[in-house]
Amino acid sequence: MILQINFKSGKPVYLQVVDQIKAAAASGALRPGEALPSIRPLAEELRVNRNTVAKAYSELESLGVIETLPGKGCFLKENHSPLRKEVRRKLLTEEIDQAIVMAHHLQVPGPEFLELIQERMDVLDDKRRANEEQKED
Amino acid sequence: MNSPTPVIQIENLAYAYGRAEAVHDLTLKVQPGRCYGLFGRNGAGKTTTMKCLLNLLSPQRGQVRVFGLDPAKAEVTVKRRLAYVPDQVAFYPWMSVRETLDYLASFRERWNQKTEQELLDHFRLDPFKRTGALSKGQRTQLALLTAICPEPDLLVLDEPTSGLDPIVRREFVETVIGAYQEGNPGNRTIFVSTHLITEFEGLIDEFTIIDQGHSVLTLDADQARERFQKIRARFAQSPPELDLQAALHVRRNGRELELIVNGSGPELVERLRQHNPEALSTEALTLEEIFVATLKS
Repeated sequence: MILQINFKSGKPVYLQVVDQIKAAAASGALRPGEALPSIRPLAEELRVNRNTVAKAYSELESLGVIETLPGKGCFLKENHSPLRKEVRRKLLTEEIDQAIVMAHHLQVPGPEFLELIQERMDVLDDKRRANEEQKED
Repeated sequence: MNSPTPVIQIENLAYAYGRAEAVHDLTLKVQPGRCYGLFGRNGAGKTTTMKCLLNLLSPQRGQVRVFGLDPAKAEVTVKRRLAYVPDQVAFYPWMSVRETLDYLASFRERWNQKTEQELLDHFRLDPFKRTGALSKGQRTQLALLTAICPEPDLLVLDEPTSGLDPIVRREFVETVIGAYQEGNPGNRTIFVSTHLITEFEGLIDEFTIIDQGHSVLTLDADQARERFQKIRARFAQSPPELDLQAALHVRRNGRELELIVNGSGPELVERLRQHNPEALSTEALTLEEIFVATLKS
């Protein structure tokens, strides 16, 4: 898993770390039980404040994406969100609504938008399958 | 909840060399554990500000507090808890690196031997070499090493990387992130003045831009990158006549329009969109671009 910070995205740096680790977990680039880089080397590598990485990790921990084992480091958890189903649905709905608004402004009609979602899900599935196969080799 | 005592508190600071005013009415506050950038061009008043913090100069107006104390009255207490890397590093040239380290360590309550060895190895500094024979980059590395080993609560860096090659500059920043921030991270505070902003981009939590002694802008780094945007639009015909007062900077080139904005980005994007541009994009400005945009407008 290689993280990349883009200062031109306008997104807070710690959130970029959070989102990229979430994406790596979703695509299988990072597997449950696998260790995340520890804070210091990651901060040095990305050349960002140590506290920024620490903030990202504590955010991931509160989201239930990773867990910290004292003295051992941070690990990706099995996919068990600590949130109730309706809360999870609500959080996702907010994100979808934003994407719908954006689609409207970019003049992407509904059916094309749905097709695009399917397409992106397929891409993620492919990535995950590729990562699975690598694991078996 | 009581807010912790700021590590640095500068209020209405003014300092003049004769009639030349170097710092005019500067106010800023640095909370524990933060990395605070003081950005300005050469001669903007950065070094004067730092010297007032270190009691190398006495404020002519206003006041400075370090760890809540007056650095003039509690000089020893304050200096015990901080370390300073100036832009021009000087050691006794006849002393070896080893002797210099021992000499400087003798003034300190704490000296982390493990960090010392780790950094000597990392920088590949020869302990037997005389400091007079070190290159500028090596002298800066030695200065950084002697600033980090006492494990100070506050690290004051004044233009630490100017005049160094890019590799040494990168290593410098990595060392600050790694070796300095590692122990007790919540309390390791950094106050850095620089005009080489790109290097420190990821480290900076908050910054003040000063120009000719005046504070021009103080912002949280993430907020700054969210507020300052570059908007590019291309139209089928020449760009529509719009009221672009809100933009800091406007560039027109044929059918293209480029705006630099501070905070009014979404609203301007919406207005541009109503004129059906062929292409429309926005990106955040880096801290260095924000610095340039702020001082040009």
